[in-house]
This record gives sequence, C-alpha cells and structure tokens, in this order.
Amino acid sequence: MLLDAVRREAFSDPVAEARQTGSSAPARQPAESGRRGIAVTVRDLHKSFDGHPVIEGLNLFLPAGGFTAVVGRSGCGKSTLLRLILGLETPTGGRIDLEGPEGSPRRSEPPKRIMFQEPRLLPWARVVDNVAVGLSGQGTRAERRERALAALAEVGLSDKAGQWPATLSGGQRQRVALARALVSRPGLLALDEPLGALDALTRIGMQDLIERIWRAQGFTALLVTHDVAEAVALADRILVVEAGRIALDLRVDVPRPRRRGDPDLARLEGRILDHLLGGSETPA
Amino acid sequence: MTTSKRDRLRDTAIPWLLPAAILLGWQAAVSAGLVSNRFMPAPLDVVRAGWEAGRTGELWTNLGVSTLRALAGFVVGGGIGFALGLANGLSRLSERLTDTSVQMVRNVPHLSLIPLVILWFGIGEEAKLFLVALGVFFPIYANTLHGIRSVDPGLMEMGRVYGMSRTELFTRVVLPGALPSIFVGLRYALGIMWLTLIVAETISASSGLGYMAMQAREFMLVDVVVLAILIYAALGKLADALTRQLERACLAWNPAYRSA
Repeated sequence: MLLDAVRREAFSDPVAEARQTGSSAPARQPAESGRRGIAVTVRDLHKSFDGHPVIEGLNLFLPAGGFTAVVGRSGCGKSTLLRLILGLETPTGGRIDLEGPEGSPRRSEPPKRIMFQEPRLLPWARVVDNVAVGLSGQGTRAERRERALAALAEVGLSDKAGQWPATLSGGQRQRVALARALVSRPGLLALDEPLGALDALTRIGMQDLIERIWRAQGFTALLVTHDVAEAVALADRILVVEAGRIALDLRVDVPRPRRRGDPDLARLEGRILDHLLGGSETPA
Repeated sequence: MTTSKRDRLRDTAIPWLLPAAILLGWQAAVSAGLVSNRFMPAPLDVVRAGWEAGRTGELWTNLGVSTLRALAGFVVGGGIGFALGLANGLSRLSERLTDTSVQMVRNVPHLSLIPLVILWFGIGEEAKLFLVALGVFFPIYANTLHGIRSVDPGLMEMGRVYGMSRTELFTRVVLPGALPSIFVGLRYALGIMWLTLIVAETISASSGLGYMAMQAREFMLVDVVVLAILIYAALGKLADALTRQLERACLAWNPAYRSA
C-alpha cells in the first residue's frame, strides 16, 4: 500500500522521475558520488563510558558515496560508532577524519545529517516547517520553504505540508524526518535504526525510498541496524561489529534494484546471522 | 450531520442545568419563607442589588479598581516568576544560586504576611500589589522551570545536530516545549490572583469589590454581600475561559488541547 504510494509519487514528480530514469542502469556507484559524498576515515578509535570500553581500537574507511550498513548485537557499540562519526560523542582515543568532495572549500562542504530511531519532529511546527529545520541558518524564509516543499515531494508527502506532525502515521513521520535530513543536500547521512519502530510493510516502503534517494543524490550513507535483512537489502558493504571491533567486513555484490527474496541476498543474510549467533561468546 | 445543531445546543445546555435548578430552588425556598432573607437573600433581591449598584456607578468603580489591582499584581509577579523560571531553567548556576531560597519562601503562606504588609505599606495600593504579585509569582515560576526541564532532550539534540543557534534552540524548541506547563502555571496563578486580592481588600482597603462586601456587611446588606461573592465567581470563570481560549490558540498542535 505504502509502496504503491511511494512509487506513484515518484512517477508523478518529474524531478524524481528524471533522477529515477537517469540512474536506472544497474550501476553500483551512484551518479553524483564524486561530487557529493563525504569520505570517512577512522583510525584506532577508542571510546569508553565511565571506564567501560565500548569501542576498542576500531579502524575503518568509508569511501564517498558508498552505502555501508553496520550490524551487531545490542550493546556492541554500533550506535556509539555512528554517534562518534557524527560528532555527537567525543572519542576517548584515536581520530576520525571527514573529507568532503575534492576541492570544495571548508565552509561550503555539504553537511552531515542523522536520522534517529524516533522521528524527533517538533510537534508545534507544521510538517513543512519541520523539514525547513534542516536548513537552519540558510537562505531566506521563502527559499527555505520552497526547498522544504521540494524535499517533501521527494518523499511523497506534498499533501501533508500544512499538517501537524501529530496527525501523521508513524511511517509518514519518519518520511518527514527523512525529508528534513535530505533537504540540505547532505554529504553524509547517518541512519540510526530509523525504521526499527515501523511495521514490516511500511519498513519495506521506507527502505525502497531511502535506496532510491541515495542513488539519486550520491551522499555517503551509514546505516546502523539490528535487522540483517534490511542491511543486506540496502547496503553495498556490511560491517559486523562485535565487542567494539569490526569482526566481519562483507561486500554485497548484488545489482540494484534488488529483489526481495533474492537467493544471493538470503545466503548472505544467513551467513551474517550464523556469525552473529554462533561466533560470539554465547553460542546458540 | 443532520442532528448536529440540536446536539450542540444540548451539549451547551447541559452544564447550565444544575446551576439553573439551584437558583430556582433557592428562589422558591426564600419566597416560601423556608429561609429568612436576613441570612440569605433571594436571587431576585441580589439581581436588584446588582442593578442598583450598577445604576449608581458604585459597582463599576469598585470592579474597575479591583481588576486594575489584580492585573498590575499579576503582571509584576508573573513577569518576575516567568523571568526567573526561564533563567533557572536555562542556567545551572542561576538555579543553584536562587532555587533553594525560592523554595523556602514558597512554603510561607503569603496571606500570613498581611499584618507585616500593612505595617510596611499601610492600606495603600502597594500592599495589594505586593501580595498579589507574591502569590502569582510561585506557580508561574515553578511551572516555567518545570516546563523547561521537561523539554524532550531528543529534540534538543536534534536541534543542535541540525545546526540551530542558541537563540533558535530557545525560540523553536525550548519555549514551545515548555508552553503547556507554563499555561498550567498561568491558570493556577489566575486563581491565586483573585483569592489574594479579595482577602487583601476585605481586610485593608478603601475601595474595590472586597471593600464593597465589607461595607455591606456593616449595614447588614446581605444582598450586596452575595452579589460580591457571585461577581468573584464570574470573574474567576471569565479568567479561566480566557486562558482556555489562549491555550487553544497557542497549543493547537497538541491533540490534547484541540477543541472537540
């Protein structure tokens, strides 16, 4: 149902349609990757809370424009890793370097954005104003509004622009949050289990939406999730984090658009689950 | 949809059934001589007293004086309470410096200060202004502080990550988030405002509604005393209704405050 709604919206919107057809070839690298994405380099990262180590000597390179998923058991440090990269936490040791598109001066670098597990919309602001929050400090009020409306069209919610968030469904609220994250054309989008609270069908619709927009815009995407199927469906690289380190680093060489239930994806999912359930200190 | 007009009429009528029945019963009881009108005047006598006081202008003068006092005290006390609530909600230092003292003073019933206030200010306007301001201060202060404290930290984090400046964070996240709680304080404060003023005017004043009631008692004009009491009730209801309207306008985003 939602899936249909998303698709219909995509094809009734000429801009989105152009993007869709422009990137419809099963190329793995998105069209604008070289220009938009932020590359992330993490060296010997350490983080502890009150003396308890959460991240212990983690090394990682995320190329610009890639879609990486981080999976792991709860408490393995995957959300902390994401928050560290976003600058929401300060590392105890090591360093994180973000490198914007080549040659762009420091001030005009595309921003980094995050989508939380909860939508975190301002309940007292209309939907369009919530999206415009993503443009804080940029342009005039009218410009912000115009870009916010365009971003709402991209997630298929043009007709909800004037509503209060309280009147939307859970999936619609998360789509508003996605529009807010994307309206500023970020170079890095971090997704912290953003679909965890949604029902299965809505979740699939959202996954397709995120994939479509990522392919059109070419930002670097970093998805933290406990849903292995979701990671396998979306990412071109999957990191399994265990005890504060990367235990497994897998490429997903399945062409897009991916079909749900694809045997290659299922095999990969099985392999990761085996690792998660059998490879850690508490064997299944 | 077809019966909606009749339904609405019924809905507005229902809350007034009980007061109307009481009035009728009261009038009947006095007319039948069950209650002596030296202790309890009939509603019609009260209406007559109101008409008389309105005709001579005495009622309007006293009403105006009281309203002005109430509002002045409310603005001063509420303003200080709001400002201090904001300051203590936003700054740890300010809170640590002042909150303990405020909590100590809060536990003193402010009406117990009346003898002291009369000694300080006599029975002039300052005494009433001081008492009303003091009474209004605490609910506004406490609820503003609580409102700011209870703003969703997730929204604060979101605002910071999305590059809001400190001013934006305040006007777009903190203040609207604290507003429902501030309104609770406002309604408490309005109740305390009337209560304080009436007590202060009854004890020490030479004008105002409370004074009018006390004068009437001197001359055994029971109908005027009851009239004054009914006016208090009406003023309280009016203040409450105005706040409700304001709430509905400012908190339209909140499903709990949307009109049915």
